[in-house]
Amino acid sequence: MKFVAGASAGIMATPVPWKLLDDVSIWTQNWSWIPRNQYGESTYAHAVSKMDPSGVPMRIRLVDGRPVRVLPVEDHPLGGGLTALSVAEVQMLYSPGRVKRPLLRAADGGFTELDWPAAAKILQEKLTEAGKNTAFISGDESSSTNEVLSAFAKGIGSDQVFFMPSEGQCASVAARLMGLEAQFGYDLEKSDYVLAIGANLLESWGTVVRNRRIFKESHPHPVRSAAKGIKEAAPMAVLAYAGSVQNNTAAVARPWLPIYPGSEGLLALGIANMLIAKGRVVDAADFDAFKALAAKFTPEEVARLTGVDPKKLEAVVEGLLKAKAPLVVVGSEFGQGAGAAPLMAAFAVNALLGNINRPGGLVLMPPAQTAMPKAEARSGMYAKDLASWIGTAKPALLVLHEANPVYALPDPESVAAALKNIPFKVSFSTFMDESAALCDLVLPIGMGIERTDDMESPYGCGGSVYCVTPAVVEAEQDVRSTANALLFVARKMGMDLGFETLMDLIKAKAQQYGKAKFDVLASGKALVDDRTVGPRGLKLRADILGKALQPAAKAKDALCLAPYAKLSMGTAKTGIPPYNNKTLRAGDLDGTAMTVLMNAATASKKGMANGDRLLLDSGRRRIAAKLRVYEGVMNDTVAVCLGFGHTALDEFSQNKGANVMELMTAAAEPGTGLSVWTGTAVAVSKA
Amino acid sequence: MSAKKEFSVKWGMAIDLDKCTGCGACMVACQAENNLAPQADASNKRRVMNWLVVYELSNGKAFPDHEVAYLPRPCQQCAEQPCATVCPVVATERNEEGGIVSQVTPRCIGCRYCMAACPYHARYFNWFDPIWPKGMEKALTPDVSMRPRGVVEKCTFCHHRFMQAKDVLRTKGIDVYTRAVDGKHHCAIPENGYVTSCAEACPNGAIVFGDLNNPAHKVYQLVTGNDNAFRLLERLGTDTAVYYISSREWVRRLGDNYLPDEETQKPQQILPKKH
Repeated sequence: MKFVAGASAGIMATPVPWKLLDDVSIWTQNWSWIPRNQYGESTYAHAVSKMDPSGVPMRIRLVDGRPVRVLPVEDHPLGGGLTALSVAEVQMLYSPGRVKRPLLRAADGGFTELDWPAAAKILQEKLTEAGKNTAFISGDESSSTNEVLSAFAKGIGSDQVFFMPSEGQCASVAARLMGLEAQFGYDLEKSDYVLAIGANLLESWGTVVRNRRIFKESHPHPVRSAAKGIKEAAPMAVLAYAGSVQNNTAAVARPWLPIYPGSEGLLALGIANMLIAKGRVVDAADFDAFKALAAKFTPEEVARLTGVDPKKLEAVVEGLLKAKAPLVVVGSEFGQGAGAAPLMAAFAVNALLGNINRPGGLVLMPPAQTAMPKAEARSGMYAKDLASWIGTAKPALLVLHEANPVYALPDPESVAAALKNIPFKVSFSTFMDESAALCDLVLPIGMGIERTDDMESPYGCGGSVYCVTPAVVEAEQDVRSTANALLFVARKMGMDLGFETLMDLIKAKAQQYGKAKFDVLASGKALVDDRTVGPRGLKLRADILGKALQPAAKAKDALCLAPYAKLSMGTAKTGIPPYNNKTLRAGDLDGTAMTVLMNAATASKKGMANGDRLLLDSGRRRIAAKLRVYEGVMNDTVAVCLGFGHTALDEFSQNKGANVMELMTAAAEPGTGLSVWTGTAVAVSKA
Repeated sequence: MSAKKEFSVKWGMAIDLDKCTGCGACMVACQAENNLAPQADASNKRRVMNWLVVYELSNGKAFPDHEVAYLPRPCQQCAEQPCATVCPVVATERNEEGGIVSQVTPRCIGCRYCMAACPYHARYFNWFDPIWPKGMEKALTPDVSMRPRGVVEKCTFCHHRFMQAKDVLRTKGIDVYTRAVDGKHHCAIPENGYVTSCAEACPNGAIVFGDLNNPAHKVYQLVTGNDNAFRLLERLGTDTAVYYISSREWVRRLGDNYLPDEETQKPQQILPKKH
């Protein structure tokens, strides 16, 4: 008995059981498959994200030469933080969706691997064979690679060089139609009242990090103390947002003006009418015609067409009129398909506010320059409408550069069918996306931090800006850059494009931009040029606006479709980055089913309730989804997030919801030559 | 609960909910910095490992009067920790100058008492071995060890950055702490010398990090006497080091379980200011 008692007391008092427990805990955590920390010296390099379309300057931390983190850059005109996409860039180096070496379609339908010399030979043969019957599509608007693409195309007699649709394209076409040889810039830094109509400034429109840094600087933290007599400081600049979804921008904008999707241009015309009624004029030859058109958009009519609250709109217009530097920015809530007319209407509003080329206003930047002799200007490439071309044209050869039209264009199924009819397709791609998976030759290119590249005045910036991004790390995959591969093939074909490598072209371009040294630019310095061009010969083009800005046709029981974009969902090229899956909120996905949003009144009208399984039917295609009742959506509207429904890429992107582009069909925008798909309507029923 | 330890330096956050757009950059930055493994299917939130989550808040009103706000939620670094008091193996404690609640994962036996105790759901059980897509382990930082399945994890305010900031001072021959005339320790780390990964990434400046005891730090100025400041579940008495600020009363009311007729309270009304 004594022994048992003594033993018990001893066990209780001795540290041995606890030490053993501690050891068991430690040793049961040592498994060979758990990675160990790899130590080394930390070094840092500057780069610009080519993965994130918003042009994010980055500082890359490398440990023993391995990139491990993306860090923000404060001292840069486009810097001040990171987006949910750019912050995951170094992890994407190891994405399972990467193309590792050149692939050629085999007779059995699969891919066979080959080396670059063999791939280049096939490419050369196919380009020689197709000649002027070759088309090119670029998914990167700001790189000098586009000069190589267009100069090469010209060399083989083709003028079919397209960009993927974007906000920049809509703005470029709008400027050209208004007689302006310029790129629209937005001096958000100096504006004290910004009205964003459809432009999701703080998430997916233009230079997102810069926009958000400006928002930070203009909105002091809310400090208030009754005891100390401290009142809350008013923001230095108002940010108002008009759009159909209470998105990331609307969450912090004051006020949010809900409008129907696709009615952005109509709202701008309504604002123009209110400004004209206050005596505002524009020095343009066709101002009277514009005034007559705008007069039709009375506040009551605009309220009917757009769903906007007239009182809220009046308050916003009063705010614009009182502001020293007001600025109106129009865009698409999902960054594409708006057409040129809404941008033209917005330009007219800005002109009425008297802010063209004024501090805090809309800036007319000189067009992006070309350094390659035969290259086409960016505005020339923007003028060609891909969405309408792809369904009708039949090139013998299609070359894609970082473009995924099979996922990103409206009605992807028809796009895939069109691509299948093209005899030979080549994709220069970092990832095995939906389009690359359909191609006959897939050529791997490095990610932005694995190659030397540049970025020239991305859409949305406030003045011309030129940045170079150097290769921070050598790729593990057998990659080349699209430009260098094409320049190599050009030489083999006996063409002289003036430069041997993209690096030479970038050096020449840097010289054009204020004689800058490449090394200085590669160390993270941005070249800024504040020159503007005058709005001489401005035409407001009421003839086009009157035809193009019409309310979208919609069946009585149909709902307006409001797609919205989030950078955390990646792009059509990247899919959802592995680290970004977790940013999906509870309820965004139910297993593999995606969630769509409606407000309670709309859901009730349709006899639906939270959690119902739905079918969204465009008449041509339909997608399944689950309803989440969310009050931040316009009446008679169903909101759907972009970025789901990937069928290629990797496990982090696949088996998640459906691609909302399935529901959209491009329609011609009268008078502009562009296609639009922001005014889509869908029938919604219970599944 | 055990007696509360007070420190001269108390690292903390002020998160401005009027600035947060809910983009998720902070969440991704946190994962990359702290070596959290990605998951192909992250839809089941009870099986997902996240040290920082951005929640969506609603004012509960119908369209068009609806408002939305986003609330990033790291570990609240309580001075009165419900978690540490229930840990049977002392795998989590608040015992270091700076007031950060540690998480010693090699010591954790995975009992999950701390998860049950944490009122903020800031602790996560590692249900799965951390698996990175082939090659992605090369992008892991050398600063934070990888954790196996079966342990509980949580935000540490990027404690390794605190250690690095101290190392920077030491290599320069500067004492990390100095005792001032008031008898308290003062930390020589400059305000921007130690910043968490989430605060660093946010372009909106929604997350402000610093020493809650240092009047020169922005975080101190933002929370001290600010009627717009609040802490989550303040009345539990956990004395957290994460403050939220919003000019919208409905946002502040969502920070605690207020009865309809109860007045929204301020941190100073509820707990004596001890730091």
